[in-house]
Amino acid sequence: MAAMAHPTEHGHGGHAHSNEHGHAARGGTPRPRVAVVKFASCDGCQLTILDLEDLLLELSEHFEIVDFPEASSARSNGPYDVLFVEGSVSTPDHLRRIGELRKQARVLVTIGACATSGGIQALRNWADHDAYRAAVYPTPEFVESLARATPIAEHVPVDFELRGCPISPDQLVELLTALVTGRRPQLRDEAVCMECKRRGVVCVMSAQGIACLGQVTQTGCGAICPRMGRGCYGCFGPREQANAAGLARYLQASGERSAEEVGQLFAGFTAYSEPFRSTITDLGGTRGARRTGGAGHVAGGAYPPPGGAATGRASYLPGRPRMEGIDDDGR
Amino acid sequence: MMTIEVTRPERTTTAGRWYLERAGLDALVAALREDGRTVIGPTVADGAVVLAEIHSSAEMPHAVGDVQGPGRYRLTKRDDARVFGYVVGPTSWKRWVFPPDVELSTGRRTGHRVEFAPTASHPTKLAFVGVRACELAAFGVQDRVLDAGPFRDADYAARRESAFVVAVQCTTAELTCFCTSMGTGPEVEHGFDIALTELDEGFLLDVGSPAGQELVDGKLASALRPATPVEVYTAAADVAATRARIGDPLPTAGLHDRLLAQLDNPRWAQVAERCITCGNCTLACPTCFCTSVIQKTDMEGIAATNERAWDSCFSPGFARVAGGSFRSRPRDRYRQWLTHKFGTWWDQFGTTGCVGCGRCITWCPVGIDVREELMAIAPPVALSPEPIRVEPVAASFNDFVVAQVVATRQETADTVTLTLAGADPAFSKGNLGQFAMVAIPGFPPLPISISRFTVDGIELTIRGAGPATKAMTALKVGDQLGLRGPLGNNWPIERAVGRDLVIVSGGIGLAPLRPVIHALAADRRRFGDVRLYYGARTPADILYREEMERWASRGGIEVHLTVDRAGPEWEGRVGVVTQLFDQATWEGANAIAFVCGPERMMQATANTLAGRGVTPTRIFVTLERHMECGIGLCGHCQMGKYFVCRDGPVFSLLQLGDTFGREGI
Ligand SMILES: Cc1cc2nc3c(=O)[nH]c(=O)nc-3n(C[C@H](O)[C@H](O)[C@H](O)COP(=O)(O)OP(=O)(O)OC[C@H]3O[C@@H](n4cnc5c(N)ncnc54)[C@H](O)[C@@H]3O)c2cc1C
Ligand code: SF4
Ligand code: SF4
Ligand code: SF4
Ligand code: SF4
Ligand code: SF4
Ligand code: FES
Repeated sequence: MAAMAHPTEHGHGGHAHSNEHGHAARGGTPRPRVAVVKFASCDGCQLTILDLEDLLLELSEHFEIVDFPEASSARSNGPYDVLFVEGSVSTPDHLRRIGELRKQARVLVTIGACATSGGIQALRNWADHDAYRAAVYPTPEFVESLARATPIAEHVPVDFELRGCPISPDQLVELLTALVTGRRPQLRDEAVCMECKRRGVVCVMSAQGIACLGQVTQTGCGAICPRMGRGCYGCFGPREQANAAGLARYLQASGERSAEEVGQLFAGFTAYSEPFRSTITDLGGTRGARRTGGAGHVAGGAYPPPGGAATGRASYLPGRPRMEGIDDDGR
Repeated sequence: MMTIEVTRPERTTTAGRWYLERAGLDALVAALREDGRTVIGPTVADGAVVLAEIHSSAEMPHAVGDVQGPGRYRLTKRDDARVFGYVVGPTSWKRWVFPPDVELSTGRRTGHRVEFAPTASHPTKLAFVGVRACELAAFGVQDRVLDAGPFRDADYAARRESAFVVAVQCTTAELTCFCTSMGTGPEVEHGFDIALTELDEGFLLDVGSPAGQELVDGKLASALRPATPVEVYTAAADVAATRARIGDPLPTAGLHDRLLAQLDNPRWAQVAERCITCGNCTLACPTCFCTSVIQKTDMEGIAATNERAWDSCFSPGFARVAGGSFRSRPRDRYRQWLTHKFGTWWDQFGTTGCVGCGRCITWCPVGIDVREELMAIAPPVALSPEPIRVEPVAASFNDFVVAQVVATRQETADTVTLTLAGADPAFSKGNLGQFAMVAIPGFPPLPISISRFTVDGIELTIRGAGPATKAMTALKVGDQLGLRGPLGNNWPIERAVGRDLVIVSGGIGLAPLRPVIHALAADRRRFGDVRLYYGARTPADILYREEMERWASRGGIEVHLTVDRAGPEWEGRVGVVTQLFDQATWEGANAIAFVCGPERMMQATANTLAGRGVTPTRIFVTLERHMECGIGLCGHCQMGKYFVCRDGPVFSLLQLGDTFGREGI
């Protein structure tokens, strides 16, 4: 525990919690208390933790897992040494709870696209919130939700981020190892392309003309999509200084794609992270927004989609009575 | 343009030249495999001709062609049965001679003890089938970078040594090819064991080495017959037609100087609007050699593995040091790429860094063409730079030698001096201002200056700036750590003999200067006036306080101190270190200056010193750059034409010229 890395990234003071709750592990050293909490999300990232299977046993030698909704119903209260937060802030209750939790957590780690950039539910941020809600729920008046689904870092300081939808198990293990051994986690902040090249994947953009966001997306997934012959759709979110505007210009100029189509490419799990966010807005907002907002409609949110004809295709909505994770009450 | 000697074989003679039928290619692959080699050759996968292990010639492309342009690659169908009817694809042979991921070493930390074990490289015997002229030239470039000294990559050398090379003459070319401009092709002329030129029904086969001859006389003999004059003539004509087809798309005369004169060209910012800084160009390039090392550890923090992976000057963290990245803007990174490949590579290795293969053009997802940028930024003229002289010295790449902490001294709240004993005897021959790569298993090895030489070891003064340095400052007597060094050059103290010496330093920057002061004090009469100007954040952050008093009282050194923020007990000066010069009365004409501190402080100091008449040839600074290997192999620490680790870290202002303090170099 003494060796546990102190977060330095955001200058967050942290809390010097004594570890009276920790059970003595080997040699009597108290194990760091770890918890997972969930906001608006699909639980996929928590499942990644459970999927570690064999490693979980080893992990539990080093960490005391005190709260993990997917794994057990046991509930504990803070303080926590490491708090993993899954999901975006989507309801007034989330908003209240996240501030509380931050105070309880020495190291706060956001996991997954929802927590780090708002997730798929943040697509509603381009739309008229009430219209959207009416389209999704039979009795919208009972659904309490905020006009925008937002990443955790918009509300409280975050010490580490694990990107992805879902997160990468390797990065999770690396972070935990670094925390317990006291070194800096080695999470690369380069483009997905670098992983393509190291693995010898033939670039789908150059060789097949498939639009690929790998250049502007942070690595970590091992370039899964290009390995499967498809373009990256940015689920790990924008990387440092991502030149999304440059890529968008190229995709339009190289033909075959309208501004709107290019905008849609960025409108995935991490749409609400800059610079994807402004690129989408510049290129005409999301389709979902258009559908619910209607032609030329200006939504009440902070990111009104510019006017223009509705496409009539709402790729995120039809036949889905309830979108995964949207407006989840946090359990 | 290449400095490698080229001897053109007589192209029209039939003597010693053979004809191999297309079906006979399989005999070649089989013979190489029987020789215990892993055969790498072209094969079609995922819409491209890639290089991969092949087991028979049936896996090689048949009747496949390609079309390439900026950001674009498509396979086509040929109406003949050619096996090599396309040009270079996305893979380069670099993948086999300098693999993307390599385990370098392992380390263990048990209690006080640390152990390091370099991972032995046992590359399998290789054979490369289908190596083009530009790719042979790329081997030549890599040999200079990785295998010509002063330091060598033994793994690379072993792989290169083991590889049997079957070269192929280019009888087709794409828009992206510019080997003719770089002097690297399309003719295959040397550096192969066997060379093939593809004809309609088979191949003209040339022998280029004793190993090639052995194969031709042995296992391949039954598949060969002597070539006819018509076959020899057709082969030569086809290659000549390829040269004509490529033309000379990039006038390269004087490119080095043209380019380096354009560091402020506005086009750098313009191309950065298009460049995504994805790094594809550098990883696709057959000669880019930059790498980073990452540590993998177990949860106990006992066992660690160091793995080296391809990296790129386009990566965000590549040039990061305390205080930020030296190439924070995309334009800086693009400029590094282009000026390195076509400019400073000459200064570093006496050769071009580009062989004109065109991969960076085809595999730039947004189609940026280096030739277009070069012509826009550095339009044609003339001059050819002198290659640098490299003196080979023996040194290990990943051997850390264990040393033990025998004393620790808390210098300030966050800074500790470790006294190490049992260090590699090489350190006893170390010079003032050199540094060591210091490793604790599980943490990245870091460059740390040697702050004192002792009888059987060294001292390091380390500020706990981050996790690794904090782990080092937490070491106790009896703990071990790993050292590699001494590395880098040294303060030119011999030039200070008979002169006044001005030492200016800030913060932890005093550490590399401490051995200089010790050396001066031991031989004080040989030097004129010696003045130390030192700035710290607060009085509590002043390093070597007691020692400093001794330097002043008994060492005959004038010590001037200043702090940024003073406490109530401080009666000395407050302000930046250059303000200390305000009251000084000395003249700089006979002085020499050694400066170490944050880069901005060094610039300000250099200006002040110059204002006092110290000439740029006698102002020396030590640069801090991100370092991983410390021996000029990983690429991280480059500053213009210099590798700071190998050519520095001490430089005179004259050497640095206008690159010193320039943003983004
Ligand atoms: C030639 C040279 C001599 C040095 N001598 C000393 C010395 O005598 N005493 C001393 O305390 N420090 C010295 N340093 C600086 C020292 O290497 C860094 O402070 C150290 O790397 C920080 O690493 P960390 O992992 O503890 O911290 P981190 O928190 O990981 O990094 C702290 C800062 O150091 C930078 N850094 C990380 N790794 C490297 C690296 N491999 N090379 C350069 N910078 C890096 C980071 O970008 C970051 O800004 C020297 C650096 C160089 C280049
Ligand atoms: S496929 Fe996508 S991620 Fe891979 S190199 Fe090409 S652009 Fe980059
Ligand atoms: S390639 Fe892109 S979309 Fe696919 S998993 Fe990786 S980051 Fe996500
Ligand atoms: S710079 Fe481009 S053209 Fe030159 S060798 Fe590298 S990849 Fe080939
Ligand atoms: S610094 Fe030079 S060798 Fe390294 S990646 Fe950049 S261009 Fe290539
Ligand atoms: S030049 Fe092209 S390949 Fe190279 S970093 Fe820029 S966008 Fe990527
Ligand atoms: S080249 Fe590796 S540190 Fe200088």
